[in-house]
Amino acid sequence: MSKEEEFVEIVKQKFPDVSVVIKENKWGRKRVWINVPRESFRDFMKFLREYDEDAHYSIAIGEDVGEAIDFSIHFLLKYEDAPAISLIVKTSVPKDDPVLPDISDIFPISLQFEREVMEMIGIDFENAPDKRRLFLPDDFPEGIYPLRLDDKGIPEEMVKNAGHPYLLRRGE
Amino acid sequence: MKLIYAILGLVALYIYVSIMSLLFAGIDRKLVARMQRRIGPPILQPFYDFLKLVSKETIIPNTANFMFRAAPLLMLATTIALLAYTPLGFAPIFATKGDIIVFIYLLTLADFFLVVGVMSSGSPYGRIGASREVAMLVSREPAMMLGVFTVMWGISKLGVQKPFSLSSLYEHNIWELGPMAWVAGAILIYVFMAWLASEIEAGFFNIPEAEQEIAEGTLVEYSGRYLAIIKLAESMKEFIAASLVVAVLFPWQLDMPGIQGYIANLLIHTLKVFIVLFVAKTIFRTVTGRLKISQAVNLLWTRVFAASVIGALILAMGVSL
Amino acid sequence: MTKKVEYWVKIPFGPIHPGLEEPEKFILTLDGERIVSVDVKLGYNLRGIQWIAMRRNYVQIMYLAERICGICSFSHNHTYVRAVEEMAGIEVPERAEYIRVIIGELERIHSHLLNLGVVGHDIGYDTVLHLTWLAREKVMDVLEAITGNRVNYSMMTIGGVRRDIEEKHKRLLLEMIKYYREVLPQIEDVFLHDSTIEARLRDSAIIPRKLAIEMGAVGPTGRGSGVKDDARWSERLGVYPDLGIKPVMPEDVTGEKARGDIYDRMAVRIGELWQSLELIEHALDQMPEGKIKTFPKDNVLVAKLKILGDGEGIGRYEAPRGELVHYVKGKKGRDGPVRWKMREPTFPNIFAIAKGLEGNQLADVVVGIASIDPCLSCTDRVAVIKDGKKFILTEKDLLRLSIKKTREINPDIKGDPTPAGVGCSRGVLL
Repeated sequence: MSKEEEFVEIVKQKFPDVSVVIKENKWGRKRVWINVPRESFRDFMKFLREYDEDAHYSIAIGEDVGEAIDFSIHFLLKYEDAPAISLIVKTSVPKDDPVLPDISDIFPISLQFEREVMEMIGIDFENAPDKRRLFLPDDFPEGIYPLRLDDKGIPEEMVKNAGHPYLLRRGE
Repeated sequence: MKLIYAILGLVALYIYVSIMSLLFAGIDRKLVARMQRRIGPPILQPFYDFLKLVSKETIIPNTANFMFRAAPLLMLATTIALLAYTPLGFAPIFATKGDIIVFIYLLTLADFFLVVGVMSSGSPYGRIGASREVAMLVSREPAMMLGVFTVMWGISKLGVQKPFSLSSLYEHNIWELGPMAWVAGAILIYVFMAWLASEIEAGFFNIPEAEQEIAEGTLVEYSGRYLAIIKLAESMKEFIAASLVVAVLFPWQLDMPGIQGYIANLLIHTLKVFIVLFVAKTIFRTVTGRLKISQAVNLLWTRVFAASVIGALILAMGVSL
Repeated sequence: MTKKVEYWVKIPFGPIHPGLEEPEKFILTLDGERIVSVDVKLGYNLRGIQWIAMRRNYVQIMYLAERICGICSFSHNHTYVRAVEEMAGIEVPERAEYIRVIIGELERIHSHLLNLGVVGHDIGYDTVLHLTWLAREKVMDVLEAITGNRVNYSMMTIGGVRRDIEEKHKRLLLEMIKYYREVLPQIEDVFLHDSTIEARLRDSAIIPRKLAIEMGAVGPTGRGSGVKDDARWSERLGVYPDLGIKPVMPEDVTGEKARGDIYDRMAVRIGELWQSLELIEHALDQMPEGKIKTFPKDNVLVAKLKILGDGEGIGRYEAPRGELVHYVKGKKGRDGPVRWKMREPTFPNIFAIAKGLEGNQLADVVVGIASIDPCLSCTDRVAVIKDGKKFILTEKDLLRLSIKKTREINPDIKGDPTPAGVGCSRGVLL
């Protein structure tokens, strides 16, 4: 059994309601994609920390998919010998209640990614110890989230165009 | 009448020393650049810098008080006063009995005015730079003072006109005091060269001043005319400090009478100063980086001061026996 | 009983500082010369790249990804292309993989030599800076001969590389490797055995192993603290396993156990320089013949991606500074991705060093920050504070103000860059 299959077995035993898929790409690299509902998100993170103490948290991605907001995290587990387990954990929150539990006591670097997602997409991480802005300047208006595709995104008058051909073609 | 000649001589010396020290700064930059496989600026570059700085606008921060503007002038005035007591190939102009103390006092006072000027600018970076300068100032003077006083005491035993004066270095010198003095002389060469490097602040000791990488140094708030005056005063102080080292350790001169004697001795002295500064500034600067302040203070107290104590003891024993 | 009163001072370090290369602000709380805590504030260079990318297609985003960073531009390009290839299921010919390895390793040599010089400069050792940057000229000459540019070489495309390596380039590469085999022992001697460098770099800005794992430190920063991870090795990327890659740890270079200080990170970089030379030699020997692109024309590529681009893909690669991750999500029928997100390696490293600097002296701040090799990519806006009010300048204002100032300094200047039209000279043609 390869490392990924062992891991998937243990996950299926502990968390029967998550959906687990192993995908393999054209040059033979396997990745494990897991979808976790919001309620078991924090317990899953604690389980990952116990499974491998040196788990490496790579990137956290927030995404606007219409009615809901997706939040994915990429982990790297068991990397003492090649190849390591590449794991992507996805969870989804509805747009009228965008709240997720904060995991920065389990993975301390997660706090910075949460700050970025909070200001760019608008998910609120409750109990986060630091909710300041990370990249946007302090006088950026509240309630406008730059990466949303709906009405809370950047309105047209905030875009100061320097003469790019796309927008010029629209006659600005 | 003698007073008028002395003051004219002082003014002439001031012009000569400022030109020579700026010229050496240019030669030094060119040599360092060649050692780093670059081409480097032209030799007269410090003169161009001085003229350019004098013509730029001077910006004074809001939080500065009157000492900020007064400090550069006081520093330059102290350095000119210092010239009157410097051995430049001949006995200093205003030499009197015990003027070594005045020399050391004025040398430290010039640095002190710089520290006060920087601190009164109100910038936090300047405060950090000033505190480092004071730490180094306190750590480097004792070694030199101990060495110089022992040498002076040894020489005054041989019978001189004005004991404990810098002019006595031209009547007898350290190498005449017997074989134990030669051993002590070798140790004192190390002590004086280390002192010179930390006075010029080159190489290991480039900590308070041009530390633009780390805390933007002591000169961060000065601009325009004041910066030009401070740079000129610092160049002259380098020359004077090197003159002291040359006078204590290598004081052999010609014995020609009259005004040609003075000029010839001055030129020989300048050449010796250039060689000493080449070793202590150019080579040292190219071959090493800078240390942290705690490491530099540690080095000055444990190595240089200890060597100075040992050298002084050996010299004292050699003289009294 | 006397109470001990401590005076803590808060000093801003940056955003504009002679010791930093990019604008970032560190607020240091100092107690005399000892650092108590460091707070990081980013966002001085924010360009809004993700927002722009939502409105472009796959090939345009490739050009955008190159320009995120100047010196690891090939790495960003490479990772984005791998993510798209994984998502769309495109296969890459083998010769293209070998060429990717060669250019990637050349970029790594370039970047590591630059960083060695910068660390030398920050400890006041200018001779090291000038001589290391002199050695860097050779790599830039070779890169210019192969790709046409010294810094931003756009060699990648989705499904292969753009230009081929011919016989004359091979000769140049072998000459360069011979030159570096003579120069690198001298560099190694300076960085591992010189007294100033040992006094300054040993035992300063230590990041212990536990902190490195918690903060997710990557690259030479993480490996210098003992975390054995290299994205090319743990990902089995491309043809790297055939060339014999393994992570370089400080024990291989210095012979002692890793302590996590600046000296160890420099040792890792020097070890990686040696490894890159070997990898280039092996790749040149083993490179097969064949074509270099899957889709020879760009418009064919865009049309095929519209059909094939469905799903999600992750690309991971080891940039000179650490592990670089890109995420691409595409939908069938769109000519651009739905979402693109990248995480550059300096992001966790900066927070790791901010905690690692506590307890050190002020003089270690600049060297510590230079030792993680900062290369940020965020947004940009200019704010002016005048009479207590803040207003934002746009590009047109900046252009107008700089023209006015130039005319003040030199009234008979001849050129006139005032834009005719809406602000971009191309706007006139449209």
